[in-house]
Amino acid sequence: MNITEALRILRAAPHDAPEFRVLLACGFTPLHLQTLLGAHLQRALPGHHVSVSTGLFGDLAGALRLATDDSVHAIAVALEWADLDPRLDLREAHYWGPSSSSDVVATAAAALRRLESAICALPHGTRIGACLPTLLLPPLFHAPGWQHAEHELELDAHLMSFTLALARRDGLRLVNARRLALRSPASLRHDARTHLQLGLPYSIAHADAVAELLAHSLIPASPRKGLITDLDDTLWHGIVGEVGAAAVSWDLSSHQVVHGLYQTMLNALADEGVLLGIASKNSPEIAAAALERADLRLAMEKVHPVEINWNRKSESVRRILGAWNIGAESAVFVDDSPLELAEVKAAFPAIECLQFPRNNPGAAIALLHRMRDLFGRDRVSDEDRLRALSIKSGGEFNAEFAAAGTDPQDFLASLDAHITIEIDPDPADARTLELINKTNQFNLNGRRYVDAEWRALAARHGSWVAVISYRDKFGPLGKIAVLQGLFTAGELKVESWVMSCRAFARQIEFRCLEFLFSHFSAQKMQLAFSPTERNSPIRDFLSGICVTQSDSPHTLTRDEFARACPELYDEVTLTGRRENV
Amino acid sequence: MSDLKSRLVNCFQTVFPDLPDDQVELASQGNLAKWDSIAGITLVNVLEEEFQIQIDFDRLADLDSFAKVLDYVRQTLPATS
Repeated sequence: MNITEALRILRAAPHDAPEFRVLLACGFTPLHLQTLLGAHLQRALPGHHVSVSTGLFGDLAGALRLATDDSVHAIAVALEWADLDPRLDLREAHYWGPSSSSDVVATAAAALRRLESAICALPHGTRIGACLPTLLLPPLFHAPGWQHAEHELELDAHLMSFTLALARRDGLRLVNARRLALRSPASLRHDARTHLQLGLPYSIAHADAVAELLAHSLIPASPRKGLITDLDDTLWHGIVGEVGAAAVSWDLSSHQVVHGLYQTMLNALADEGVLLGIASKNSPEIAAAALERADLRLAMEKVHPVEINWNRKSESVRRILGAWNIGAESAVFVDDSPLELAEVKAAFPAIECLQFPRNNPGAAIALLHRMRDLFGRDRVSDEDRLRALSIKSGGEFNAEFAAAGTDPQDFLASLDAHITIEIDPDPADARTLELINKTNQFNLNGRRYVDAEWRALAARHGSWVAVISYRDKFGPLGKIAVLQGLFTAGELKVESWVMSCRAFARQIEFRCLEFLFSHFSAQKMQLAFSPTERNSPIRDFLSGICVTQSDSPHTLTRDEFARACPELYDEVTLTGRRENV
Repeated sequence: MSDLKSRLVNCFQTVFPDLPDDQVELASQGNLAKWDSIAGITLVNVLEEEFQIQIDFDRLADLDSFAKVLDYVRQTLPATS
């Protein structure tokens, strides 16, 4: 992206949309970086109007102190050597020499400590993206440039301690220096002309790379939920129907280890909660024999469903997405055949299609890195692992539910269902906001929030949040629903309500409303329903219980609800700060 | 309007999106409050991208109106092409 394109993106931003305010903290003149960061963030947040402000030039820690309240939604920190000591600034360095080297290191260490304190003073959970120094050190130390000087290593050590301290902070993401090096080669980063004359150290291309990665750090793309893989020449090398199960290969000795690495990657993704499925055109018996081989690096119990048949791949993909109950935009399809990829892409334009490269190890390894980008997440939670397990148990639930026919009450009564309702959880709990922002189908109005907006909602007088967890005889589903709203002057309002599609058909939606009526002793509630392209499940549910359909927001009385609510069989436990309210 | 002038108008409107069409050619640092030093550098970046030229920073202070920028670009372009 260049400056012209960035300005056009910023100019086209919807000015009546909610504002997303970002503080760019950097010690140098931020002009290019500010413009480009704003444009990259604007691209990532098309429903917001992004504004990027800066603090005083040359005072990075001071700029951070400007952000100690909720006046900004996110902070981008672009650190450079000059922020640590003026002698590391090509515009300010008046003396270099052996007598000053140790003092430069000591001054830099003190500056890093001040900076760490300033970051620690920011509100808990503040969204921060940080980029560590990206430019070459000036040639101030005594060693030749091709050799690491001792003082330079000491500087690096202080910087690493600082980095580790930051990495442990919730809400802070660090730009990966190695990825930045691929995107912006070291020799092309510094623009001496603009730096020395105007105070702009970064070339525009480098400012663009830093801005892009900082924007990713602040607004990371939602990780994909599921991966569907082909078998022949993808999960393994060879056509199993031609050479047999024993002859397909994925190891070093056969020179096909890229397929083994792919299996290793899939196994790791499954352990992180990613759903794995197989879509292959093959004879099921022959392919199954290869999938049963003991040296397969992917544990097959982690793969569900497995669609091996001679039908169109798009049909298999359709069934797998249906079993997972996720949209194509949340899935990735990997196949070696451009034809198959095109057929699936035509049927599901939103799916990410990746070609497994043939006879190109470099491209195969690049594919693994691409997969990591698509499925990467800050941390792997128990909820992530639970989600993958519950998909499989969900299949068993659905089969028994279908067998129960038109009167499933006996089946529901036999579930041994337990619901835990946590009132007012920590607003920084990532899973709560993740559910709100990623649930599409059972979603009251499709509203999305950045974390600062969510914290602000929770801080209002009369605000409440309820997080629902569920388990039954088929296993735990984890946290599957969130309700949020206001209770003031006896008026109960539900502003957000989402429920994971994994929890459908268990009457949990009825329990949610029953709980609200009883917990707040309310006679009626307002539901801020708004139709979206994909929230027909909640619209249909509300149609079944709300009398006044034309109202916006919908009003539901306790009597109306009582008439519509079936008998509920689950056992409820309340936790959280208002447990005894 | 010449192609060069039309491209220059686009550059000015990219940097100063609120500038009405009929005011672009009259714009100067004296009558356009938003044309400060920061906007001036941004304008230089946009001109360098649009015309694939490198502007001499020592001339920045002189380039304080649309007319002067137009003259500068006219003089610079043949030399760099």
